[in-house]
Amino acid sequence: MKKLVLLFSLLLVAPLSVNAAGGPSIELEEAGNNLRDKDSLQRGAVLFTNYCMACHSVKYIRYNRIARDVGWTDEEVVEKMSFGQNSVYDYVLTRMPEGVAMDVMGVLPPDISLTSRVKGADYIYTFLRGYYQDEEGKWDNRALVGTSMPNVLEDFQRHATEEDYAEAVRDITNFLEYVGEPSKVERLDLGWKVILFLLVLLLLTYLLKREYWKDIKH
Amino acid sequence: MAHNTSEEHSSEPKEGSLLGWIDRRYPLISTWNAHVAEYYAPKNFNFFYFFGSLALIVLVSQIVTGLWLTMSYKPSAAEAFNSVEYIMRDVQWGWLIRYLHSTGASAFFLVVYLHMTRALLYGSYKEPRELVWLIGMMMFVVLMAEAFMGYLLPWGQMSYWGAQVIISLFGAIPVIGPDLALWVRGDFIISDVTLNRFFALHVIALPLVLIILVFMHIVALHKVGSNNPDGIEIKKYKNEKGIPLDGIPFHPYYTVKDSMGAVFFMILFALVVFYFPEGGGYFIEAPNFEPANPLKTPDHIAPVWYFTPFYAILRAVPDKFLGVVAMGAAIAVLFAMPWLDRCKVRSIRYRGLSYKLLLTMLIVSFVILGWLGTQPSTPLLTKLAQIFTALYFAFFLVLPFTSVNEKTKPVPERVT
Repeated sequence: MKKLVLLFSLLLVAPLSVNAAGGPSIELEEAGNNLRDKDSLQRGAVLFTNYCMACHSVKYIRYNRIARDVGWTDEEVVEKMSFGQNSVYDYVLTRMPEGVAMDVMGVLPPDISLTSRVKGADYIYTFLRGYYQDEEGKWDNRALVGTSMPNVLEDFQRHATEEDYAEAVRDITNFLEYVGEPSKVERLDLGWKVILFLLVLLLLTYLLKREYWKDIKH
Repeated sequence: MAHNTSEEHSSEPKEGSLLGWIDRRYPLISTWNAHVAEYYAPKNFNFFYFFGSLALIVLVSQIVTGLWLTMSYKPSAAEAFNSVEYIMRDVQWGWLIRYLHSTGASAFFLVVYLHMTRALLYGSYKEPRELVWLIGMMMFVVLMAEAFMGYLLPWGQMSYWGAQVIISLFGAIPVIGPDLALWVRGDFIISDVTLNRFFALHVIALPLVLIILVFMHIVALHKVGSNNPDGIEIKKYKNEKGIPLDGIPFHPYYTVKDSMGAVFFMILFALVVFYFPEGGGYFIEAPNFEPANPLKTPDHIAPVWYFTPFYAILRAVPDKFLGVVAMGAAIAVLFAMPWLDRCKVRSIRYRGLSYKLLLTMLIVSFVILGWLGTQPSTPLLTKLAQIFTALYFAFFLVLPFTSVNEKTKPVPERVT
């Protein structure tokens, strides 16, 4: 019986401990971001607006949802992220017309609402920090070789300390992980309450079972 | 707790009562008694006997969460992916309903695989329970179709390319293959048409068939009575009222015990739903957060974990058509278990060494094939898949010969 329980729990846990998703082959840096850090999310949202949103949309999230989750008012979010140009009910879209993007970069910059779910936060962090100039002065990225995306943070990096730069990248990563699954913190906070309730219910059902079964001789 | 079972149930409902009014028009009390309150189940059920009721609970959960998902889901190639994200973000509790449903699919297979393992351990497929097993196997096949079609609906990259790979298998069948694949897809590629029909099958046809089969599975089981870990007939020894000495009424004994099992299961289930909803990339694959793109094949197409053992068998065979045949045979051969196993003793507790070794080989092969099916194929892994495919089939080939003269232990008269 004990062996069976052990086997059962192994069966359940084994698939969880390995990562089935095939990721990029380079060693990823740890983003170390914290979804509960609202200051970081606010900074990330502003950095995203200034450095990413010129080309990229996060079309699955609305301004008012961001406001609610990062601790802004509706007025604040529209002011900080769209310079008063949008309704709070709008989805967060880039203002760059598709034709312009094609002309400038040759590709359509993808929507990055779900990048954190496809590749993970560590990938975003590594990618943003992965730009380097080769001997001829050409930019490339070690996380995504041959990327069409320019090193948008180049200027920021030049004028910031190493820590400030790392923090800024971490804030953007944090914001994008949040956008990938806006209800994640709610999920984590609800889970243990549900489990606690079920544990109490388990005790009650166990006592009920024991009470009924005490007259059954094995 | 005292409860005088026989008195309570034999008494007729009072003349003027609502229950009496109903019972004169509908066999309420007799049905309840026949299938619940006076259905006598062996008293020695162990851990493995939870999985039947758990499968039923997961089925109900899937139907209820599925119903709520359909209220916001849009079965069209243009909108499906967006509508799933809409559910995840804008629908109240949508994320929870979606995760309950996606986790439920994996839980369903885990529970069903353990339920089937129980049957193999204690010989629950043997005479007179062959139909219970056959109906159960039909449910397994329908469940696989249900899960496969459901996985297309989020319209992610893995939804699309997984379906592409599996439907193209029909194309490998000689002569009719290409036309058959076309007929299944309803188009030359997986398209809006395919998505729409898969949606119809996933939410109406297959769940209906599944519910009917569940009903028949239970009717067949209650006709012959439940097996037990000793694999002996409890109906052999009855008291003066005709009640099996080793039997106890399903209600209240197993209703309270299964309730406890259900809550324990729900705790594990909640752990996954709230803390590992992607199941490490096995329950929801990462590429499925990217919308389906017919022009971009993912680097590595792997089915969800519950199909991987069969997928590994498919890939192990070098010829595509023979691979499809092998995969089909791997499932079909299970239907024949009641006739392949010729040993009279049911439970593994009293069976000979040969069956214990063979069953271990089968389970180990199945688990390893499952792992191999998640991996990209390399020459070494393909070789391994071929070895374990051979071992998987060896179980069914060898069993009829070893089981006929198996050296069994004496079987007890009463349950232990």
